[in-house]
Amino acid sequence: MVGTVRAARHPRTAGAAFAAGLALGAGVVFVALGAIGAAVSGHAVVLVALAVGAVAVASDALGLRVRPQIRFQVPEPWRREMPVSRALFLYGLLLGTGLTTYVPATAAWALPALSLALGNVRLSVAIALGFAAGRALPVLVLAARGGERVLAERPRGQRLLRVLVAASLLLALLAGTVQAAGTIASPAGDPSVEGANLAWQQPGVGGFLRQNGTTAQLPGNNPAIGATFVAWHNGPQLTVADRASLTPLTVDSVPGVQTIAVSRSWLAYRTPTEIHVRPVAETGPGTTVVKVKSPAQLGRPALGVDLVVFHRATSEASWITAVNIRSGKRLQLRYSQDALLLNPSLDGGQVLYVKEARCSQQLRIGRLGGGGDHLLYEIGPLAGQDLGHERHHTSQGEHLPCPFKPRVTKKMLWTTALSPTTAYVTVLTPGNGGHTIPTLLAVARR
Amino acid sequence: MFSEAVAGASSRRGFLARTGRAILAVAGGGFVLEAMRAQKAEAFHFCGHIYTTGSCPHPTGLPRVDANGFPLRAVDGHAVDDLGRPIDKLGRPVDARGHVLIDPDGNPLPPAPRSRVCQKTGHEFGFHGQIDGAWYRCCGGHVRKLIDCCGYTRTRINGDAALTGYCYSGRHVFCVMYYDTKITC
Repeated sequence: MVGTVRAARHPRTAGAAFAAGLALGAGVVFVALGAIGAAVSGHAVVLVALAVGAVAVASDALGLRVRPQIRFQVPEPWRREMPVSRALFLYGLLLGTGLTTYVPATAAWALPALSLALGNVRLSVAIALGFAAGRALPVLVLAARGGERVLAERPRGQRLLRVLVAASLLLALLAGTVQAAGTIASPAGDPSVEGANLAWQQPGVGGFLRQNGTTAQLPGNNPAIGATFVAWHNGPQLTVADRASLTPLTVDSVPGVQTIAVSRSWLAYRTPTEIHVRPVAETGPGTTVVKVKSPAQLGRPALGVDLVVFHRATSEASWITAVNIRSGKRLQLRYSQDALLLNPSLDGGQVLYVKEARCSQQLRIGRLGGGGDHLLYEIGPLAGQDLGHERHHTSQGEHLPCPFKPRVTKKMLWTTALSPTTAYVTVLTPGNGGHTIPTLLAVARR
Repeated sequence: MFSEAVAGASSRRGFLARTGRAILAVAGGGFVLEAMRAQKAEAFHFCGHIYTTGSCPHPTGLPRVDANGFPLRAVDGHAVDDLGRPIDKLGRPVDARGHVLIDPDGNPLPPAPRSRVCQKTGHEFGFHGQIDGAWYRCCGGHVRKLIDCCGYTRTRINGDAALTGYCYSGRHVFCVMYYDTKITC
């Protein structure tokens, strides 16, 4: 390939055609993998991708022979039968797919697996461009500096490249694992987000608002932000204020108010057993959206354009429900008789919610209408399992709830907030006397 | 113990077991008898279970239930929800000391679904699960009620053919559960 580029009458044009073909070929394959991953993403896919990545890191770091290899070569006659630039573009297209010719590093095999696991088209495009650059640069550099002979006579260069590739891949894997959830504040919980601005509650202290890079305490509790507003409450006194100046717009008394949501047009609040909605500029109790009897519970309300969503949990099942505030029409977004569905939030037609299942706790995101929810973050379940059989008895006939030994945690995923780039979730850690301590985490939205 | 002896003697397989032991005693002597006794204790996955049908799916593993068929944690008999969490009488999750877990706003954490083990099994495997009959054994010093989860199904949870067991009206045993009574034996 280096020789073909060097032999072209205009090597730069030929090199650009080769790079463009590589980018296009890689883009098609990796974007397709990302789209498939979005449909099938799950715990198993991520584990497989991590395993493949780990093998690739070890293989490249130790300089093991790259396996598997593809023997299929690009068609040699093309460079004689058509203009060189067109031939190079087509060569790039084939090489970009990753389905032809020798690969010099095992990391090349980790990239499709990672793309599948990420399940994100934008990230897949980034992977494709990285892959294309990795294949194009050696060819272009060697074409400019003296051909393959340079590399063939200095095998240490390739060895060094493989070590660098292994290090890059390892860093990417570690970063992906660590960045899975970053702590925003602790103790802190019940996030509310509008663009890049974030509000939360610090238990026993009050509400905080972070906007334009500055964090300030608010004169109240359980703050919520939306459009240009911020709302908080002091006991029953509920205040809606301008977010920039914190100048109160409305102040009234709402007995029992615990949590609030605010949008451009509406304000929703929850008491221990009810959720109410009213126009944001008005005062008074507003319209009762839903009412339950203890021990059934309602979650924190979240607002869309004209929608209020919330969870309802009982000993029979749990629901995430959306109510059209203008028409009163109800829509059951999610329902489970097995798991606990909690604390939804909305952004751009997507719903983020917590699913406490028997074998894991998950932060999930999906379309309002349902179907194809993605896993954003996952921790272990809240309870372990026994042996499945009694002591001094065989395991024949036992039936364990989880297919793998669960990594039990006392931490519980709780309230959520969703921005165009980030998902926020409160994690509750049990303390003394049944009390829980919240920690606010941010998870990159895929 | 007397009750255990009575239970063992009156079981449907008691005669065969006694006959088998007698033949083995004649043929192989004490060594084989000892092996047989050991097998009696360890052959099935929980005490009192005398056949190979598997456990019903249960939040914590061993299929211990209360008198109404709701799941209990086998190790201590504490009520658990479908997530396996210990709960109070209202279904609210509690910590290891029995305190109701409360969120930062001071509200109890929400209850999770809690289902009758047999009915949930039926729902999961596509039949109507119900309890027809049961049998009793002495286990750990208390009378244990062993319960068949029945349904109109040809296969059992193991994947092979289901048997009639203590099911009636054409229903078959899909899986088994147990309820530990407080009656000593």
